[in-house]
Amino acid sequence: MKIKRLCLLLIPVLLLAGCWDIKDINKRFFPLIVAISKENDEAYTITLQMPIPQNVNEASRTVTVKANSIGSALEQVQLDAEDVIDYSQTQLIFIQSNLAKEQQAMQKLIHFVMNAKEIPSRALLAITDENVEDLLKDINQKLGIQTSSIYDYFNKGYDWAPEIFSIPIWKAYQSLFFHTQDLAIPVASAGKDTVLTFEGLDVFRKGEKMERISTAESLLLNMVQNKNEGGTVESLESADIHIINSSVKKHATMKNKRPVLSVDLHLTMRILEKKQDISDKHIQQQLQQRLEQRFHTLLQRLQEAHTDIFGFGQQFRQFIPYKELKNWRTTYYPNLQVDFNVSTTITQ
Amino acid sequence: MTNIVNELTNKFSNHHDFFIEEELIDNTIVYVIGFTTLVDVTKSKLYIQQIAASSISIKAFFTNISNELNVPDEQLIKAILTGSIIILSKDATRNAVVEAFPQKLGSDISESKNESPVQASIDAFGNHLDINVGMIRKRLNTERLCLDSYEVGQLNKRKIYMLYVKGRASPELINKVEQQLTTVQRDIETLDDLNNQFGHRRWSPVSHFSATELPIQAVDALKNNRIVFFLDQFPFALIYPNLVGDMVSSANDRNLTFALTVMLRALRIIGILATLLLPALYVALVSVNPELFKTDLALFVIQSREGVPLSAFLETIVMVILVDLILEGVVRLPKSVGPAVTMVGGIILGQSMVEAELVSNLLIITITAVVIASSAVVGMQNSLYLRLLKYPILLLASVFGILGICTGFVLTIIYLASLTSNEIPYLTFRLGQKGDET
Repeated sequence: MKIKRLCLLLIPVLLLAGCWDIKDINKRFFPLIVAISKENDEAYTITLQMPIPQNVNEASRTVTVKANSIGSALEQVQLDAEDVIDYSQTQLIFIQSNLAKEQQAMQKLIHFVMNAKEIPSRALLAITDENVEDLLKDINQKLGIQTSSIYDYFNKGYDWAPEIFSIPIWKAYQSLFFHTQDLAIPVASAGKDTVLTFEGLDVFRKGEKMERISTAESLLLNMVQNKNEGGTVESLESADIHIINSSVKKHATMKNKRPVLSVDLHLTMRILEKKQDISDKHIQQQLQQRLEQRFHTLLQRLQEAHTDIFGFGQQFRQFIPYKELKNWRTTYYPNLQVDFNVSTTITQ
Repeated sequence: MTNIVNELTNKFSNHHDFFIEEELIDNTIVYVIGFTTLVDVTKSKLYIQQIAASSISIKAFFTNISNELNVPDEQLIKAILTGSIIILSKDATRNAVVEAFPQKLGSDISESKNESPVQASIDAFGNHLDINVGMIRKRLNTERLCLDSYEVGQLNKRKIYMLYVKGRASPELINKVEQQLTTVQRDIETLDDLNNQFGHRRWSPVSHFSATELPIQAVDALKNNRIVFFLDQFPFALIYPNLVGDMVSSANDRNLTFALTVMLRALRIIGILATLLLPALYVALVSVNPELFKTDLALFVIQSREGVPLSAFLETIVMVILVDLILEGVVRLPKSVGPAVTMVGGIILGQSMVEAELVSNLLIITITAVVIASSAVVGMQNSLYLRLLKYPILLLASVFGILGICTGFVLTIIYLASLTSNEIPYLTFRLGQKGDET
């Protein structure tokens, strides 16, 4: 009997363990985009974009707060909001470029969003040159109820533009500790008619902004990292071609302490339109030349900046002793020789 | 006693419905042999006496009574099993197979009420024990089908028949059951009394028996090494032990093609899972773990729940209990009133609850799915106990979310696995054949 009574007494404990402080889904706000900027006065501005489903006319709204740190800013939002703010559906974190150019602030930011348990580590990072508040308001007007379009925009799948590069928070966090790979974050701004316009990539080394590369180079990065699913159109002088698929093979060797990497990129493509009396072979050669040239210019720029966003260093981890690895960017990478070979097949 | 009579009594010693009677015809003793469950003994004896009266000699009697005279011994046994009686002269020089008056196996037989077989014979067990056994014997006419009878209870002696196929059902199990039945100290009024006699299961929703109305189901169980009980005045065969497979498979399924059988069983398994998990999943996703939703879906759910004053757990528990009430009400009501309750409960209640924004649309869909799913399993009692088992999972889900569902589900399986009937676990899928074939 004593045990039965004890059980009866313990039942409320079980219920108290979670039932009373759980908020139902319709009592929560789900910010889909979190935008962060830093003013000159050292204060952070946080803007959230939250869908409001009950009202058809106003599909979503933005909230902006200012505070001395990101944490206190998020707290401030929670303080002002009538319901719980649940970051579990957050898909995108926009960083204004005035924050992104400060190495310290950038490192702190990545550490913060990774360690903040509420924000899912799968949320994507993006950088914008515009004022984030205006950007979100702009998105807000266009977005309508299709709130997942931001996520679709950056994710692989049907109709994904192969130039677009996306990086989740956890990968950005990882790259802070990598000796052999650097971080690239996509740059986007509000489009004129579309939700976003993709502008290229910002390249970071340990949180320090090094370079900005263009969309065409971003495509190259996707191809070399074997993320490409094809679907892009290249215009050459004599023809327009459609790249259907790409695959890549890498082979690393060390010659006299000099890293040598051969990268074989294979493209399957279709010719959309071409000038008369130009052979397929000529088109292939033209494309190969163009890609190789583009690659080598990019690599040279990156080597001068000592940043390895391709992650070529990953291929050489087996040749370099662990203690030496941290010198990859300074000692080995500038001497890296990459034999970049493009081969193509034409299908009809 | 002659050899053949001895042989027969030995052979059918396990059959309490087997009878041998002596008759005196023309100063010669003859034996009348048969099964009481298959033959109307009084009428048949009268018939024999009438023939005897009109016959001048014993020889004339045998020729008058049957065309099948002096048949070999094996055929005699077969004749007994198929419901004839045989007449043997004492010196074993003459025998006859007589198509005597059969038990009226057909008269009490009606359609099954609780199970609706598809593409199968629809006759169901009735209240009379002998008729029920006869229905089994008709479908399973082998000498290895044994019948033990017990009379149990203190005030009210209740007859229980135990059927099994010798060489198939485990002799150990039969011994244990025999012991349990002979030591009954109280009246066996209900199935629950009998259930408790087979091991303590007062608070368990799972019975030791699976009750069926359909003879083919009982025959299938007998063939699959199980024991079948009949209680007098109880129109069900009680298959012992009840196994988890009885919930998903019925013998009737196999009248369809194999692919269809597999499909039906897969559907029933989905039904079981849906009954146990769907309401819990709704509560967990809506109130505890909304991060598992895709954004679009989350927004859709928010929209459907807009303005609902009850918390997810409350609205779910209210709806689940209401639906269970309706189901119970419909079962108890006469057939003419049932549909009215169904309509009021289903259409008016569901519709108005949504319109009054007391519960969300999504929940109504979930609950409807659960009710349909819970009815997909074989056997009314199984459907009931599944409906009971969903409550603890629902409770855990409302507190711990998805983690609670997993824990609840695992605990449920652990509980079911802990159930045994005479050391045969409930989660056994197939009983092995025990004992030798002969």
